[in-house]
Amino acid sequence: MIHITIDNRPLELRDDERLNCIEAARRVGIEIPHYCWHPGLSVVASCRMCLIEYGMTNQATGQVEMMPKLVPACQTPAVDGSVVVTNSVKVARARAMVEEGLLLDHPIDCPICDKAGECLLQDYHFQYGQDERRADVRPFTSRRRDIGDVTLFVDRCILCSRCVRFVREVSGTSELYVSGRGAHEEIDVVEGFPLANNLSGNVVDLCPVGALGDKDFLYKQRVWYLKRHAAVCTGCSAGCSIWIEENHDRIYRLKPRENLAVNRWWICNEGRYGYPHVHNPERLLLPRRREGDTVTTPDWTKLPRELGERLRGAGRMAAVLSPFLTVEEAFLLCQYARSIDPEAVLVLGPVPVVGEDEVFPGGFTIRAEKCPNRRGVEEVLLASSGGLRTLESLLDELDRLPFGAIWVAGGYRQPWIDEPTAQRLARADVLVVQDLFPSPLSELATYALPSAAFAEREGSYVNYADQLQTAARGVRPPAGVRTEGSLLWELLSRERMYRASSVLEDVARAIGYFAPAAKGVGPTGIDLRANLLA
Amino acid sequence: MLFFFETLIKIALLIAGLMTAAAYLVLVERWMAAWIQDRVGPNRVGVPLTKIRLFGLGQPAADGGKFFFKEEFTPGHVDRALYFLGPMIMLTAALAVFAVIPFGSVLPTRFGVEGLSEPIRLVVAPGMAAGLVYVFAVNGLAVYGALLSGWASNNKYSLLGGLRSAAQLVSYELPLGLGILGVVLVAGSLDLETIISHQAQSGAWNFMLQPLGFVIFFVAGFAESGRLPFDLAESEQELVGGYHTEYSGVKLLMIMVSEYLHMFTASFLIVILFFGGWHFWGLTGSSDVVTWPVALLRVVVLLGKVLLTILFFMVARWSWPRFRFDQLMGLAWKVMLPLGLLNLVVLAVWMEYGRAVAEATGLSYLAATAAVGWGTLAVAWLAVVWFAPSASDNRPQRSPVVQEVCR
Amino acid sequence: MKPNDPDIRWVKEPPMGPTGKTYLSLFLGGFTTTLKHLVSKKKTIPFPDRHYECPDPLIYRGVHRLNRDDQGRVKCVACFLCSTACPAYCIDIVAAESPWPDREKYPESFTIDELRCIYCGMCEEACPVDAIELTSLFDLSGKSREEMIFDKEKLLAVYDMTKDAEPRRTAGRPPTPPRDTGGPS
Repeated sequence: MIHITIDNRPLELRDDERLNCIEAARRVGIEIPHYCWHPGLSVVASCRMCLIEYGMTNQATGQVEMMPKLVPACQTPAVDGSVVVTNSVKVARARAMVEEGLLLDHPIDCPICDKAGECLLQDYHFQYGQDERRADVRPFTSRRRDIGDVTLFVDRCILCSRCVRFVREVSGTSELYVSGRGAHEEIDVVEGFPLANNLSGNVVDLCPVGALGDKDFLYKQRVWYLKRHAAVCTGCSAGCSIWIEENHDRIYRLKPRENLAVNRWWICNEGRYGYPHVHNPERLLLPRRREGDTVTTPDWTKLPRELGERLRGAGRMAAVLSPFLTVEEAFLLCQYARSIDPEAVLVLGPVPVVGEDEVFPGGFTIRAEKCPNRRGVEEVLLASSGGLRTLESLLDELDRLPFGAIWVAGGYRQPWIDEPTAQRLARADVLVVQDLFPSPLSELATYALPSAAFAEREGSYVNYADQLQTAARGVRPPAGVRTEGSLLWELLSRERMYRASSVLEDVARAIGYFAPAAKGVGPTGIDLRANLLA
Repeated sequence: MLFFFETLIKIALLIAGLMTAAAYLVLVERWMAAWIQDRVGPNRVGVPLTKIRLFGLGQPAADGGKFFFKEEFTPGHVDRALYFLGPMIMLTAALAVFAVIPFGSVLPTRFGVEGLSEPIRLVVAPGMAAGLVYVFAVNGLAVYGALLSGWASNNKYSLLGGLRSAAQLVSYELPLGLGILGVVLVAGSLDLETIISHQAQSGAWNFMLQPLGFVIFFVAGFAESGRLPFDLAESEQELVGGYHTEYSGVKLLMIMVSEYLHMFTASFLIVILFFGGWHFWGLTGSSDVVTWPVALLRVVVLLGKVLLTILFFMVARWSWPRFRFDQLMGLAWKVMLPLGLLNLVVLAVWMEYGRAVAEATGLSYLAATAAVGWGTLAVAWLAVVWFAPSASDNRPQRSPVVQEVCR
Repeated sequence: MKPNDPDIRWVKEPPMGPTGKTYLSLFLGGFTTTLKHLVSKKKTIPFPDRHYECPDPLIYRGVHRLNRDDQGRVKCVACFLCSTACPAYCIDIVAAESPWPDREKYPESFTIDELRCIYCGMCEEACPVDAIELTSLFDLSGKSREEMIFDKEKLLAVYDMTKDAEPRRTAGRPPTPPRDTGGPS
């Protein structure tokens, strides 16, 4: 047992825990301000913001011997007998001095800075800084430099070097460096080698001030208007934890959500900038009914009943479940198909794979499998039909034996089906297609239903490594769109509203693979493999 | 038959006069309110379709027209029959009271028509021996109007307003009656005309002889007409509009007019019972045989007194804050009722032995009566000061137990 | 709040005394106050006949204006602080990168719903560059709701209209040359 005292509060750590003083203080609810330290990066102790008074308990006498000078908390390990003081006048003065030093050279252009509102320099200044500025007020400058994927506001930088360490240690691309010396230090890139890698967006999140600006978000919205929702990225099978940040049902940016079991602190640019399809006007936004050559728009209030009648009267049924469905939706669709035709054929839709996995030196991996929930849908299918069949096998069977009704749940972000395949599927009497974008298949469908984008639905995804995570709804779907879950819920004539969490409880009871989810899923998800091993 | 026509003409005159007066007194009230609040009040609407402003004298027409063109909305949740009945009862009762209230004295001629009453009296139902009883009976019907409106509106504010109105009107009927009884004892009649002529003949108005009765009747009259500081039934700050919260358009107009008529009734009764009606010393004479100028002068004197009383009503509205409901009830039951009884007893005793006492002391009977009256008022007032029966403070107090906790 | 809350200050009503208990002084007090006001001089200004003359237009809170800088461009830097401060949510801004080299950000569109506005002046307080100000124009009227949603051009026009009568509350600081900090750029 490691015994530590922080501001007279005792803390006990396990023997195998290796924490620095910032992390240890966090355990007792004390925040030590810091700029340059980040749990995912190496320690440089250059910003001096986390200075604390530190001492050691002399094991023999029990006397506490304080170090004469302040030490940086990020660099000081919390070992047995450590005594940390963070609330003394000395520490407060040191913090105020650091703040003053940083602000000497800072253009206080917060009104036009996108970071304002979530800026550590602002926050710490309000908390620890001095009320008055003693130096003369320098004129405002804001030199802006395009350094590749992001925009650099040179004068706002406080030289914490987090971005430089990130490109060296995590992305391994080393585009950024600190040029100049002393007061002339600046972040820069070498001429001809701009910041360009698939993790570059993370330097914007890492930057404690507004020096690195996201080109996608620049000047679009003030951060205090944004509301964040914990969600899961559906760009690839890694299933990174993200925040969806929206205002008035419009997504402005996605940010990584700390999840040590999955993505740690990072997400890739592909996922970060992959949200615009949610607001793409090309999306299917209204249900459509096709009879012969006439296309009409059915009324959502009457559609479920009509669908039920048509499907029930059609005969043999098949359902294609895309790996973009959530576990709950896949489960409900299987149940619905079985309720109409107990012998219904349930198959897995095409799994999009693009290129190969991209592995970064820091361990971060972008998966080639560009769908979020292949594992989850597979397990639901296995449990529902006893075997896993693909779309090809359904097509073969379709050539031999006609199907009365086929339900295709799509939701793909990219074009996914070609004309001949669509023609083959369209031989069914009733073809119901749910999809995000118009495709050859939705053109031929008897009922083409708009599908909800990832930010518009709630539900659970199982990533490539059997980690189940739940995502909350970020924005409301457009007016004519109903989420798959709520539509299926109504088709199954269930009571009350569709709530993914209660369906997940049903799934966990019904399917052994999902059993650990019965007790609820935390913000970082649940590892379902542990259950399999047991 | 002719008598019938005579009455019809009187009714037509009376209703036309009352409605016009109500319309213009609304304007006067708005002016008073504005002036008291350092504003100028309505001064724009003049002759319709022109730019002539006429100090805003066209305002009543505009107000009335607006009431008729407003959407007459009936909420879906009301009890329709009672909802419509409420305003009707109120207006009918308010108008019917005026059947026995004289708006002048008599006319000197019969216009050469045989068969009319002799002489023509300026009251719809002349010579009704139970006049005051009738006034009370019909006035009491107004409670039903407020109560039904409040109940039928199916709204908690309306219901509270109706309940408050009912409680208030019923409570103040008692002091009102006790205040009158003294006058009735002195005049020996319930007929309002007789009461006026009694005052005219003696030359002493009743408020001089029995000031305590006057104070009681005056305060109770305020309360009965539901005007500030007694307008708890429709206090805007608490109950939106009280029992007429859910009314609009003409039905609201009916309620408003009947409230105004209540104020007229109260003013007329105050003037007739305590301020000599149409009598003024040296101007109007006191006999039933009159000339035209005197007859008109009597009308003017009566209406002038009534107008002054109404103006007092209007000024009073902005002078004193509204009562709390427990204070209102305390005033009725703890102050007004005992004082009214005291007044009645003193007066009854004086009626029995007064003349003997006056003769014994050598004072004139009237002066002695006045002395006794003012003496009673002084005693009663001192008793109120001494016992402070209506002083009640029911605000939360720091109880001893709480004090312990606080320490 | 509970009765035993230590923050409650229990106040006792002062005793009325014998004179007060007669209620006569109170009665007359209320009555004389009303009568005094009944005959006092009236404060109303009969509006279309006579116009209100604002004693100090700089503190009046009327229609908004968007100030121009010394080059005639909109002064606003699109920081959204006014719309953040606005309690009525009547300011809508779309920000964009400015077309001028010496400015970073400017409002591509700036609209104020004058009907929603409660004229509290919070926007003026919040503005870091004194770009939005409330003028002394008070007789604002329009024939439709759309007309009362003022866009950037209209707000700048209000500035052009009122700039002579009502100077800017803080004159703009003189432009300063950009600081040379050395280093590669």
